Amino acid sequence: MKAIIATTIFGIIMMFTSVMVSNKKSVAAIAVALFAVLLGVNIFELYTWNHAATPGPQLCYGMLTLDHTNLWFNTLMTGCTLLYALLMTKEIQKVGAYVAEYFALIFFILCGLYLLSSFNNLLMLFIGIEILSIPQYILAGSDKRNLKSSEASLKYFLMGSFTTGILLMGITLIYGAARSFNTADLVAILHTDTLNPLALAGIMFLMIALAFKVSAAPMHMWTPDVYDGSPTPFTAYMSTIVKAAAFFAFLRLFKDAFGNLSDHWRLVMAVITAATLLVGNITAVFQQSVKRMLAYSSIAQAGFMLFAILASNSKSWDSIILYGVAYSVATIGMFAVLVKLKDYTYDGFNGLAKKEPLLAFAATIFLFSLAGIPLTGGFMAKYYVLLAVVQQGSLLWLVIFALLMAAVSVYYYFRVIMAMYFKPGEAELNSPVSATDKMLLLVTCLVVILLGVLPQLVLG
Amino acid sequence: MGIYDIIFWILSAIAVSCALGVILSRNPVNSVMFLILTFFAISGHYILMNAQFLAIVNIIVYAGAIMVLFLFVIMLMNLNADVEPQKGQLVQLAGVISGGVLFLVVLAAIKTARPMEIDQTSTEIGLIDNLGKVLFTKFVLPFEISSVLFLSAMIGAIVIGKKEDTKQQGLQKDNN
Repeated sequence: MKAIIATTIFGIIMMFTSVMVSNKKSVAAIAVALFAVLLGVNIFELYTWNHAATPGPQLCYGMLTLDHTNLWFNTLMTGCTLLYALLMTKEIQKVGAYVAEYFALIFFILCGLYLLSSFNNLLMLFIGIEILSIPQYILAGSDKRNLKSSEASLKYFLMGSFTTGILLMGITLIYGAARSFNTADLVAILHTDTLNPLALAGIMFLMIALAFKVSAAPMHMWTPDVYDGSPTPFTAYMSTIVKAAAFFAFLRLFKDAFGNLSDHWRLVMAVITAATLLVGNITAVFQQSVKRMLAYSSIAQAGFMLFAILASNSKSWDSIILYGVAYSVATIGMFAVLVKLKDYTYDGFNGLAKKEPLLAFAATIFLFSLAGIPLTGGFMAKYYVLLAVVQQGSLLWLVIFALLMAAVSVYYYFRVIMAMYFKPGEAELNSPVSATDKMLLLVTCLVVILLGVLPQLVLG
Repeated sequence: MGIYDIIFWILSAIAVSCALGVILSRNPVNSVMFLILTFFAISGHYILMNAQFLAIVNIIVYAGAIMVLFLFVIMLMNLNADVEPQKGQLVQLAGVISGGVLFLVVLAAIKTARPMEIDQTSTEIGLIDNLGKVLFTKFVLPFEISSVLFLSAMIGAIVIGKKEDTKQQGLQKDNN
């Protein structure tokens, strides 16, 4: 609750900064400082929260429920945002004239994230999803001189609004069946044996809408165009922290509210998961641009995160938090390397290892993590999500399929490493890599490796 | 069958037939007109349920403001059958199948639903004072937090709508 209020106030402060401070650099510095303060607020809230009980107490007439899990998730995601702001601060200043507004929008996205991690009412789910989405539509179109950016924004906005309609329709149908928005009431009212078809239709609608938000196949069509067209620093944010937040909400809804009805939706979810893994990994192989490849890779990674929802057991929370953090950190790092380059195609990476050995090394670590090589965060994350499903027990075929697809993913991630280390060429840089950048990239690498060696750090 | 039921059935018939008109009419302007009629019929239902405030808001906001915007957009875009993109047969088939499945589900749901009598007298939730009380007690958090949503939409209007060059020139002057 404190974090929600704080992030809203910080967003408004950033709006005023836009008027008061004209220098882009100082605006960005203020924003980074505020992200650090926000992280402090989150840590403070986490440590002063003395209710050990799960589920936690309900706030504001049952609109929100705070427990250790979602406060911890908020803290981690705010930490990732701080890391993102530090790594991307120069690039965000290059996107356009409204730097303060971009940061204000990111603060508002965090407000949506906090709501989504702790919602206890379908109404809050809807508002959280909207607060998360609308700033993204704007950030996608923030590079106004670039036609692709405008196209991305419009495409995302139209598809997103349509999905909002589907989400609302689902909520309405569920309300019609259960006469309540409260997830605790839904658990009490909706039973498998006397399930109203309206509720079933509502669950399917909600699944479609949320699968769109996390870009799971076959609702993934917007992802490559939007991620490719948006300014790269904002693509990095959209494909990482926002996606993790959407997954947390997805899990919260389907585990807490519809967990008893999992017989009804598990098969559909399994098909969506299989399709997401297949489409994401196979299409990523054929991409020529690394940015577009990362867009497809984010679809593929979404397929793995869907496993946590499929499992819907006690391991789910841990696995989604670990996966969210490991994936976010590695992808943000990879994008931080990508924005330094002039040419986003694979050929643009040729010979990077000779020119900037540290940049190439960091990129290698991040790609190892994304591919799920042991000793990196990505390996542990994949291990935990698959473990959750294995414990659940009924979907072994999907686990084997996922392992096969993970092997496919190694191909397109390693193509970048091949280009950097083994292909001759002169990789052209957009801007010189400063000492601060190098240090931050090293810290990010350290986090990725630490997550792989000691995942307990994140598992609370 | 009392007067209440007669009005209910008439309004329902208008609402359903106008809603069908929205999707069946070829001309988008006609669709909007049908939609306005649908909103009026639904407002009539609200009044039947003793929710005058909701009925008025429904007319002012939806039938008034939003539909006028719709009309403006449609007229400005000058839509007609020639510029409409042609859908492939496969897409049409997929649409028919998924729509039909949804129709089947809703039909099944309605078949199993118990017929409910609407309590005509005791519902006062749609009156403005009750609505206000609920809005500022039970639903105060969504009510307040939606301001963040509107704030970000307003920032969007500035970021996307405003000319960028003027501000950049100003910035360059400051930096010099």
